[in-house]
Amino acid sequence: MTNPDPAAFLPLKTNWFHILLSLTGEEQHGYGIMQEVLDRTGGKVRLWPATLYGTLKRLIEAGLIEASEERPAPELDDARRRYYRLTRLGKRVLDAETGRLEELVRIVQVKRRLEAAP
Amino acid sequence: MRFAMRLYRALARAFPHEFKIVYGADVIQLGEDIVEDIAKRNGFLGLVRLVADLAIRVPIEYLSEMRRDLVYALRTLVRSPGFTVVGVLSLALAIGISAVWVSEMLNLILRDAPGARDADNLVMVSGVSYPYVERYRDHRDLFTGVAALQLDVPYNVSLSTSAGSATPKAERVFGQLVSPDYFSVFGVSAARGRVFSPDADKPGSAPVVFISERFWRERMDSDPAAVGRTMRVNGQTATIVGIGPKDFLGVTPFMPAEIFVPTTAPDSMAPELSGDAIHKSDAKFFNALLRLAPGVSFKSAEAGLDTITRQLDQETLDPARNAKGRRVMLLPGGKVLPVPREFLPVMLGFALLLDGLIVGIACMNLANMQLARAMVRRKEVAIRLSVGASRFRLIRQLLTESVLIAVLGGAAGIVLAYWATSAMRKMKMPFSFPVDFDITPDWRVIVFVFAISLVAGIGFGLAPALAATKTDLASTLKEGATGDTRGHQRFGLRNLLMAAQVAGSLGLLLITGFLIIGFSKTNNVEVAFDPSTMYLVSIDPVRDGYTAEKASGLFDSLAERLKHAPGVREVTLAEAPPYSPQAAVFTLSAPAISGGPDLVVSGVAKNIVGPNYFAALTVPIVEGRGFDIRDQRLEASKSPALPVVINQTAAAAFFGKSEPVGRRILDAAKSYEVVGVVKDLSAPMSATEPGQGAGVVPVVYLPLTKTEFAHPPANGMIVMIRSDRGSDAMEGVRREMAAIDPNVVVFNVHTLAGQIDDTLSYIRLGEFFYGGIGVFGLILAAIGLAGVTAYSVARRRKEIGIRMALGARKGQVLWLVLREGGSLVIVGSLLGLLGAVAMSRLISAFSSLVGPAFVAGAHDPRLIIGAPVLLAALAMLACYIPARRSTRIDPLKALREE
Repeated sequence: MTNPDPAAFLPLKTNWFHILLSLTGEEQHGYGIMQEVLDRTGGKVRLWPATLYGTLKRLIEAGLIEASEERPAPELDDARRRYYRLTRLGKRVLDAETGRLEELVRIVQVKRRLEAAP
Repeated sequence: MRFAMRLYRALARAFPHEFKIVYGADVIQLGEDIVEDIAKRNGFLGLVRLVADLAIRVPIEYLSEMRRDLVYALRTLVRSPGFTVVGVLSLALAIGISAVWVSEMLNLILRDAPGARDADNLVMVSGVSYPYVERYRDHRDLFTGVAALQLDVPYNVSLSTSAGSATPKAERVFGQLVSPDYFSVFGVSAARGRVFSPDADKPGSAPVVFISERFWRERMDSDPAAVGRTMRVNGQTATIVGIGPKDFLGVTPFMPAEIFVPTTAPDSMAPELSGDAIHKSDAKFFNALLRLAPGVSFKSAEAGLDTITRQLDQETLDPARNAKGRRVMLLPGGKVLPVPREFLPVMLGFALLLDGLIVGIACMNLANMQLARAMVRRKEVAIRLSVGASRFRLIRQLLTESVLIAVLGGAAGIVLAYWATSAMRKMKMPFSFPVDFDITPDWRVIVFVFAISLVAGIGFGLAPALAATKTDLASTLKEGATGDTRGHQRFGLRNLLMAAQVAGSLGLLLITGFLIIGFSKTNNVEVAFDPSTMYLVSIDPVRDGYTAEKASGLFDSLAERLKHAPGVREVTLAEAPPYSPQAAVFTLSAPAISGGPDLVVSGVAKNIVGPNYFAALTVPIVEGRGFDIRDQRLEASKSPALPVVINQTAAAAFFGKSEPVGRRILDAAKSYEVVGVVKDLSAPMSATEPGQGAGVVPVVYLPLTKTEFAHPPANGMIVMIRSDRGSDAMEGVRREMAAIDPNVVVFNVHTLAGQIDDTLSYIRLGEFFYGGIGVFGLILAAIGLAGVTAYSVARRRKEIGIRMALGARKGQVLWLVLREGGSLVIVGSLLGLLGAVAMSRLISAFSSLVGPAFVAGAHDPRLIIGAPVLLAALAMLACYIPARRSTRIDPLKALREE
């Protein structure tokens, strides 16, 4: 594949967005992703196991994430678990989605201000 | 909770193989990690969600896998367009033909007639007299209802306009003459008004008529006040008492009935009843419609009716009373087209045989091509297997491709079937009455086609897929795709398939060839003059309101008067058009001269013709004389022996080598005296008795007399007018007819050339159809052989390279490759030839219509020798083209590829 356009993935599906978000900065295993999403949304969004791994599979196929070869320090590692991390494309897609959402928020704020003005 | 986890694990194991390998363990692990937390937090509902999540994802994963297979298959097919086009087209043809046939079965033979209640319990007997039907009624243990009817009765109908202005032109519509209990036996009630009933409709009551919904809609503009209106039927005023429900067109909708007239009607309205036909036990032109009593089977009803009829024959001294064999053949009574049950096996068998051959050949061909392709893909398959794809998964993927081709072929086949059936519907049928030949495929046919496609797709895909995935990984990867150096397997799957395909194709070619050659041999029409100079027109004065007396008066002087028209040379009359199919169904006998038993001849056709008939057609009279006007004036019932003219075939059948003129022929209660012998006329599409030669029918010509004029057949009385070439005689004839009586409607005007053309168009269609099937099989066989040879050359590249490096000449290499294909062709041809000959014997023993054609075709050396030679030549050509490639192999290159 030759450099796919990140915009082709937008708008991002909710599950995809949450997973990409939880992989920013650090590698995670499945359980970790689920926990982070659960914590971040105050228990509102739970990625159920089959859905989680089904989505991970599709994200890998789309080239947004990849299974990681590096393992964390042995004392933290659970040998049975596979770790995932963002690819460069994944980062760009997440950035693009964030930008899209920011733009939307900005438009809403401008409209509000216009409404508030006499 | 423990139960939920057990369910969870079971579901997780149901994931597709590839998903399971990578994520299966993770999914289970994660589930185990969180299950307690969920149970604590969300309780029972949470556990349900956990399991439901899995239950939803499992099919989703399968679907996505299927979608990927499909996309992959599509890409592969697009990359090899030749294979795809051949595959889809060949299956489309094969499946399309099957679809037409299935559609015909479902819509004509197995479909209930619209309006019939409990149609499976209705049966019909044809060719019985009204008094017999009355007696059938007494057997309440067998039948709960019995009605009498005549099918395809023509009526000249005109609707009186409300204003009462000029009388509208009469139209000829077809209907049924029915006993008053017909509707109650059939189980249909009126949508408006009432049906006939024995209480309301008695002999002598005012004339009534019942009309179909279609008649009401198309000819009366759905007039809401139609019931109670009057119309003229055969010149008599009758009141419309009822309108049938939608789609109801009588007991045999294949031959639709627009109007229904009760058997209680006066003779003037129903000339079919003239001569007190209701009370005559020899007036066998009624059908009995019977409803089986509960618990009575078709078989037992047939046996019972046979016994009853035999008794009645004895009582009435019927001439057939001592005939051997069965007297009654029961027909289904509630189906669109009544086909005797005993014909079904032959009809089904023949269709199934042809169909099976066609679909089978197409599948074998595809299987062969797939096999060849699979070998090319061995490396790809091996790689995928080595990286962990399961064999089952790969087979499924290969099957997806085959099924995709099959479904595409099926879809194209349906389109083809729609086109074919609508073309068939528009075709003119060689009947004197209209037929509704509607066999447009419906959803059931589509379901059937889809099922066939799936089966075919799996059928031709499975063996190649199994073969493709059964590879020795290590050696394949090492050797490369073309490195197979084994000698050719003599009994390999591919060779077996190929030989079977050659055999099937040849069988198909021969069987269809037998039919075509047989058809053209038996259906050749020879006319001694230019048939476009003869006009055939129909008139039916009785149904225009004439009495029988007045009608015979008209016919008495008709020929003389029409001869006055400019350009007219000869005028004659007949009941049926000349050179039309003959119904050779009568059994007559000739008394022996010197005591001894009578000579019984069956399979005789009767033609009723007017004076001057043979002269008008320029048919040579071999002995004796033809008919003249005196024969027409005979009172058939009073003359002791009606004069008849017979054709040469009949003369030979009845009298052998002795002199026929002056001899007698006995027909039931009547006796004929032979006054002349004429040359045989061509009789295309005639069903003959087994044993009779093809296209040769013994014909007894009877003179037209008053009896026939009182009761003309469905196509009216045919006036045959031969004119001088060039001058358009019809103008003058019309003028002359109008001068005789403007109220006599002249209809169905056409030339003899047109008539013959219509008859033969069937045969031509058949030839085209069967020829197409034969050629189709031939082409498929050639493609298959070419594919196999091409593959074989590719496979043996290295071997050939070595041989050439060692000094083998091109001819030797070519021979090496051709030998393989050649032996397949020879084995297949032998099998196909034997099979086709055996099959044609079998069919001709069973069917009287195609039988003679088969016999004639099977003895044609052109076919028996020509077809295998043609196939072999084509096959060798198909082998040769790819084989030539073998000689161009560069030995150095081939060996370097190691």
